[in-house]
Amino acid sequence: MTTTLTPYRSRLHPARAGFARLLRAEWAKFWTVRAWLLVLAVAAAVTVVISQLGASGSIDTGAGELIAGPDGTVVRDAFRFTHRPLTGDGSITVRVTGLKGVRGGLESWAKAGIIVKKDLRPGSPYAAVLGTPDHGVRMQWNFTQDTAGSTADVASAPRWLRLTRKGDLLTGYESADGRTWTKIKEVRLDGLPRTVEVGPFVATPDHQKLHRSFGGTSETSGGGEVTGTFGHLSLRGTSAAARWTSTDVSGPIPAGVREGATGRTAVSASGSYTLTGHGDIAPDETVGDTVQMSFQGVFVGVLFMVALGALFVTSEYKRGLIRTTFTATPGRVRVLAAKTLVIATVTFVVGLIATAVAFPLAQSRLRANGYKPPAFPDYSLLDATALRAVVGSAVLLSLVAVLALAVGALVRSSAGTIATVLVLVILPQILAFALPLPTAHWLLRLTPAAAYAIQQGLTYYPQVEHNCLPESGCYPMAPWNGLLVLVAYAAVALLLAGWRLRRRDV
Amino acid sequence: MRSLHAELTKLRTLPSIWWLLAATVVLMVALGAAAVDSVTSQACLSPADCHEDTVKLSLTGVWLGQAACLVLGVLSMGAEYSTGMIRTTLTAVPIRRRLLVSKATALSLLTGAAGVVAVLASLWTARLILPLHGSTLRPATGTVLCLILVALLGLSLATLLRDTAAAIICGLGLLYIVPLLADILHSPTWQHRLERWAPMPAALSIQATRNLDHLPIAPWPGLGVLAAYALGLLVAGSVLFGRRDA
Repeated sequence: MTTTLTPYRSRLHPARAGFARLLRAEWAKFWTVRAWLLVLAVAAAVTVVISQLGASGSIDTGAGELIAGPDGTVVRDAFRFTHRPLTGDGSITVRVTGLKGVRGGLESWAKAGIIVKKDLRPGSPYAAVLGTPDHGVRMQWNFTQDTAGSTADVASAPRWLRLTRKGDLLTGYESADGRTWTKIKEVRLDGLPRTVEVGPFVATPDHQKLHRSFGGTSETSGGGEVTGTFGHLSLRGTSAAARWTSTDVSGPIPAGVREGATGRTAVSASGSYTLTGHGDIAPDETVGDTVQMSFQGVFVGVLFMVALGALFVTSEYKRGLIRTTFTATPGRVRVLAAKTLVIATVTFVVGLIATAVAFPLAQSRLRANGYKPPAFPDYSLLDATALRAVVGSAVLLSLVAVLALAVGALVRSSAGTIATVLVLVILPQILAFALPLPTAHWLLRLTPAAAYAIQQGLTYYPQVEHNCLPESGCYPMAPWNGLLVLVAYAAVALLLAGWRLRRRDV
Repeated sequence: MRSLHAELTKLRTLPSIWWLLAATVVLMVALGAAAVDSVTSQACLSPADCHEDTVKLSLTGVWLGQAACLVLGVLSMGAEYSTGMIRTTLTAVPIRRRLLVSKATALSLLTGAAGVVAVLASLWTARLILPLHGSTLRPATGTVLCLILVALLGLSLATLLRDTAAAIICGLGLLYIVPLLADILHSPTWQHRLERWAPMPAALSIQATRNLDHLPIAPWPGLGVLAAYALGLLVAGSVLFGRRDA
């Protein structure tokens, strides 16, 4: 006689464990480890303290007085200006016949053109139409604004330029022959008085030479001088002066330019003007980035976040708890998702507290060290730039923890995971300070270190030739794009981890 | 001698050991080659005009190799604690100082061998890309020593802390975060202090072949700083190891 045994079945309702319960389980696994809570507290404290240290050491090396443009941006405003006052509406026309460097080299953003400026004070509002050797004809106004005209090179072929004032409206034109004119742009300049200064000008940025190696960067800039020649100079409108006067509008004299080097203006018998001068009309991008300087502690915070993210999964493998976990919740990807959510939230909240405390403290430290308005804006925590950097840094910390978690699920060893992720996030930064610039830029684009771009506060303008030096806090990527690189790394690592978890034994 | 043999066997059979040694060599050569390759004619117009220290660049890989060596050093002791093997080991070799010495020797032999291969391969690869100026003997020897010392640093941290993760965090902090701080702290005083007295930027002055007068710390004293950290911690570890329960 045979008896059939029915296998044991639990009489409990086979309800699927809800995701909320899974989250609660993972959260319990996190907060019951006292050492991890301690690590979190240390991470926050160290982030704040190192940020302070980073900010307190910053001394404004200040190249003398700083000049602020109409919108408060720190600017360079120095050029050779041959000018007459213009009262009311009118226009100025000139034929730029040449542009060359005094001692050979010509910078790609050397400028020769005509300008309408509020007065001769550096930093006052202006609009200019100008020719450059490598960037064609441009219309620029109020330092930060720039529009491209044709690609004609004034250094090789003459070009006609015209600038018209009508009320607050300034319009730039260019022409190849002086008969058919093309409009470049019409702009509105607020706050122009009835009488403005108009005339031809020349300017050139400094020639920059860069020496970088492990242990130091030196940037030497040689003050360049350019000569521009102008013909057919004519002014239409009412002017109080009958003759052209020449002035060196001067902002801070750049290092490398002979003290007291002055521009020259010569007039030939045929009425052609030759202007020689130095200086530049552009935003000054060599001043420090006070937002970025306030977050040095995040570099150290990363170490602890990597450790937490990695240990949250590798310690389960080490102690064998992972078998219990997967018995309780056979859906392994769900476990990974719950773990990710818990670690991301915890590290984000703690990171946000740390950066939100560190930023205002570091800012007041910087202000005490000479980084004061108007040259350096007074950021409050709720300004768009500051808020982006504060929240972005917290997101960075949390993403780094998630990346470590995912790599931990793949590698299953704490030592290997922590070392791999930390090297990925920190080493590119160290190498970027020393390797040749193009390589450094690629490092900061392709590795997770790109995410630090989210801390940038300065705007880098395309109309300024700028060596984006990682050691002075410049990142080659735009803030959010940089953060996206880290998001991509974390996402790919999570996908791989999910795939491996499903296929692999525990 | 027998305890050295035992340690070598344990190290040799560590699951990740061959991975780590291979990683040391491959990563060092790859990063060094990439660094040397990044010197273009844009950075160096002519050999006379070139300010790049090509020997140092060709050994840039040490920045990656040291991570593998640190992990190796930490695991050589940490794995014993995490698996409980340490109790068997101490039963077999009750004299703890001798155990630690043979562990350190075994570790130095293995990392030294990997280091020699990695450094020679790095220099050879770099020579294919660029001519190297200056003598490479001191930088090459120094880099191998540097790797050995980093592994010993890992061993001593693991002995002190008896926990793999904690030792790794401390080691990585010393090797990566401190040099980064030396770069990003804007205070020249702190920069100078860190460059002289922190193990990593100081030890790498051994690789310099140019502008020796401008180094924050001279080559051999620089390596001495790392040696002081590694051996000092090893002595501290051995004292604690002798007193503590396993």
